Amino acid sequence: MNKFLTTILVAALWPLAAVAQTSTAPAWNEIKGEQLIALQTKGDAARGEAAFEPCQGCHRKDASGRTSGAYPRLSGQHVQVIIKQVTDIRAGRRYNPKMEPYIGDHALTPYDIADIAVYLQALPIASDNGKGPGTGVAAGKKIYENDCTDCHGNKGEGDGPKFYPMVAAQHYRYLLRELKFIRDGDRRNANPDMVKRIKAYTDDDLDAIADYMAQLPPAKK
Amino acid sequence: MNSQRNARGCPNLRDYGLRSRKLVACAAVVLGFGVTGPASAEDAKTIAATVCVACHSTDGNSVIPMFPKIAGLQEEYIVKQLRDFMSGRRKSDVMAPVVAQLKPEDVAPLAAYFSAQARTPSAPEDKKAVSLGKLIFYDGNEESGLPACVGCHQPLGVGHTIYPRIGGQHAQYVVQQLKNFAAGDRANDANRFMRVTAKRLSEEEMHAVAQYLVGLDAK
Repeated sequence: MNKFLTTILVAALWPLAAVAQTSTAPAWNEIKGEQLIALQTKGDAARGEAAFEPCQGCHRKDASGRTSGAYPRLSGQHVQVIIKQVTDIRAGRRYNPKMEPYIGDHALTPYDIADIAVYLQALPIASDNGKGPGTGVAAGKKIYENDCTDCHGNKGEGDGPKFYPMVAAQHYRYLLRELKFIRDGDRRNANPDMVKRIKAYTDDDLDAIADYMAQLPPAKK
Repeated sequence: MNSQRNARGCPNLRDYGLRSRKLVACAAVVLGFGVTGPASAEDAKTIAATVCVACHSTDGNSVIPMFPKIAGLQEEYIVKQLRDFMSGRRKSDVMAPVVAQLKPEDVAPLAAYFSAQARTPSAPEDKKAVSLGKLIFYDGNEESGLPACVGCHQPLGVGHTIYPRIGGQHAQYVVQQLKNFAAGDRANDANRFMRVTAKRLSEEEMHAVAQYLVGLDAK
């Protein structure tokens, strides 16, 4: 009897085992667990405003971040992008030791994260973000239009459902830092296609792209 | 997050009629027990003037730098601290024997009483440290990832919901609490925020921000 049961079990589970063996590492944008819960939650902006309060110490009250680039602007960013980045950071998929201790599951539920994301997306975007030197804008435009528009859009507006962030009007120094992290493999949760695409770029190239993106006006929604 | 919680919904003492209070008082006298009815605003003032006064002054504006000013603290913050002292979640050799004299029903009226008192600032002893302190308060430190205090404690340190008023607080007390949080000796903060944050402050920054805070006057 036991042998019979075992046989049935093995037969039933065999396809699963086979799948497990053949599948590779999860895709950068594979959504499951709390990320899925947060994405499926209808966030509430008023609750999000309250939950965002402790974040203001770094990202500022209006979520405009810091022109120094130390902390990004979050206002106007896509709901899906915010949810993915916050959950990636607290799961250790994106490296961010400064933020990580403040957003663990002892502090925020997936529902809080959904609330915060809805609140942030609806905030007006200030255009007095940190700009670059301006000397790289022309060269940056050329590179951006060749390599970046497929995902981040002609105007740097990004694409929420595909998890591509809005890059227009983001702080120059933040863009530059993250570009280097992504190119050098230090961000960890980047789209591998993007890593491939910017792998050969020099620091000057990245500087020019950041210079260009930072001066793009806030995308209209 | 419980930040929307309001502590004002605590026992409404006016609902207890005079008659029953008299009865309880009579019973206490007759039986010789220290039994009383739930504390009222009057009782809170009496407790403040007899129990709390030695360290915090009757109006909650302590004049002893090692003891905190509790005047003008958020009501729900006072409730939480008193309960944490009672349960041992917040450890203090000074407060433990004091809260042992309180009854659970004293907590809400005491919180309401001290919350309603105006906070009186003091002059900073080290005026040269104030400008760095102000910078820390409003900008934090991007190098160490120290968040600006203003994010939770609000401009002028008036506090908000679970985040206590820190404007006008004694510098010595502020530095001591920051050290306690950093060492984990104080661990009753919401979401570990202060334990994480205090670890990111240097001693110089703790001193500076405390010197800035002590003179803040929100009136």
